[in-house]
Amino acid sequence: MLQIEDLHAKVDGKPILKGLSLTLNAGEIHAIMGPNGAGKSTLAYTLGGRPGYEVTGGTATLDGIDLLEQAPHERAAAGLFLGFQYPVEIPGVSNLQFLRTALNAQRKLRGERELSGAEFLKVARAQADALGLSMDMLKRPVNVGFSGGEKKRNEMVQMGIIDPRIAILDETDSGLDIDALRVIGAGINTIMRKPDKAVLLITHYQRLLDYVKPDFVHVLAGGRIVRSGGAELAHELEREGYGAIAA
Amino acid sequence: MSLALPSTREEAWRWSDLSGLAALTDGSASGRLDASAVPWIGCGGPRLLFLDGKLDLVASEPGTLAIGPVDAATTHPLGRLATGGGWSLALGSGHAPPATIEIVHVATGGANHLPARIELAEDAQASIVETFVGDGWANRLTRIVLGRSARLMRSVRLLQASGFTSLRDEAEVADGASLVTVVLGAGGAGTRIDGRVTLAGTGAYGEYGGALLARGDQRHDAALVLRHEAENGTSRQLWRAVADDKAAASIAARVEVARGAQKTDGEQSLRGLLLKRTATVNLKPELEIFADDVKCAHGATVGELSAQALYYMQSRGIPPVQARALLTRAFVADAIDRIGEEAVRDAFHADAEGWLENAA
Repeated sequence: MLQIEDLHAKVDGKPILKGLSLTLNAGEIHAIMGPNGAGKSTLAYTLGGRPGYEVTGGTATLDGIDLLEQAPHERAAAGLFLGFQYPVEIPGVSNLQFLRTALNAQRKLRGERELSGAEFLKVARAQADALGLSMDMLKRPVNVGFSGGEKKRNEMVQMGIIDPRIAILDETDSGLDIDALRVIGAGINTIMRKPDKAVLLITHYQRLLDYVKPDFVHVLAGGRIVRSGGAELAHELEREGYGAIAA
Repeated sequence: MSLALPSTREEAWRWSDLSGLAALTDGSASGRLDASAVPWIGCGGPRLLFLDGKLDLVASEPGTLAIGPVDAATTHPLGRLATGGGWSLALGSGHAPPATIEIVHVATGGANHLPARIELAEDAQASIVETFVGDGWANRLTRIVLGRSARLMRSVRLLQASGFTSLRDEAEVADGASLVTVVLGAGGAGTRIDGRVTLAGTGAYGEYGGALLARGDQRHDAALVLRHEAENGTSRQLWRAVADDKAAASIAARVEVARGAQKTDGEQSLRGLLLKRTATVNLKPELEIFADDVKCAHGATVGELSAQALYYMQSRGIPPVQARALLTRAFVADAIDRIGEEAVRDAFHADAEGWLENAA
């Protein structure tokens, strides 16, 4: 489904990704772990097409479509969802307006019918309920005045409403207490643990993986995958640290 | 007619571009009206249609509004050109029209000048929305006198496709009375908005603000003075200026607090948004205070759209043009949201939206 081959990328002229290869098949959840500065967030942003993240080599395809050739909003319409480590505040734009615009823009690009206000509200209410975010919060400006946990929950509500094929979740667990972590974990499982979807979880700690069991765990260090294994690899990293593996 | 216009060497006119007015004055109006294209909001109250400054009786329902000579003398260099007949609203004590008054000014070329007078006696209240469309130079002088506890909500849409629109407002607000003026500039014409609001009575409230959207080589230019002459007055000036291409939007907003106008509460929020680096926004907040127990807050900032927010929106599937429009709309929204009546507010939002959707 997502195929990354020998990906090289620079940020501010500095090479960060140095030949990263990774394949995610439908129905799989992969975790990428690694020390600070390994290039985890760079991988997420490079796949998401963020300005300033310059691809200098390699390929990334989603269902055979060349992702790197597409504008960020086209990647979203192709089914890619990027969960932000630091969700952005947008004063003056309500969550509902933001999400309805986003969902309908994606549907339009895919040649699907746009949702009416009522149809959209039904979807939004269901997802907000599932993640314990009130509709009142969805009426407020995007992430403005939200706590760290609420912002992350809002990312999951967005993911639920948009219903992507593949989600790349960048440190979705950072800054969460144990209750919030459980809610987020359950959200990821409900929305994305499906035979036709895939998830790439980017995390520094093993904690989230107690709630979302990965099928594969990869260690990213120095801009490439240095080791891959099953869920047990996360526990090994937790015990022994990155030092030995990423050296 | 020979025109004596202020020059840009005068401080109050330094950002103005009046250079086209002489040619517009020499031009002539076609006088052709497409009645179906008159942008009525449909508030259900009295309404007036002026075609090139002349009342169109067929399309008007004057109700409480009077047409005829207007007492509104001024020394203002543009306002003084608006002499002779115009429209006026005089409400007796405690009176209020049943619904919002609508006035549409259609220009078809040339120049037209029109004075108006709004006088509300004690406790009277009114809401007026004025819309400018077409081409040519529409020049207006509006004299506003609010009696004790009177309330006036005035909303003005500047939507002329080309030419020039100039407004001169002179208002006096008595004890406990309230004047709110909101202006939206979302057409293609150059504009000059000139206002002087005097809070003459104790506890008077004056608000003058709006949103100015400029593109191409368009110029919007606003110069306001909110003058506090009595105690416990409150003034608000909330302006949002957006400039694209090589356009310029300029706002000079002054708060004057006279000696003895203690407990004044003045607030200015001037914000500019540059959609291109070649565009210009000029903001000039001014305070002139001669009393010692006052609270005057002012803020003026000019910036660009947040690159982070733009990317966040695109990552969710919103195309760049739409993302920019959403953020720009959010930027101007709080200025338009000052309009109390929903139908009018929605119409203004729709005009701002229309402007944003026309982005190249």
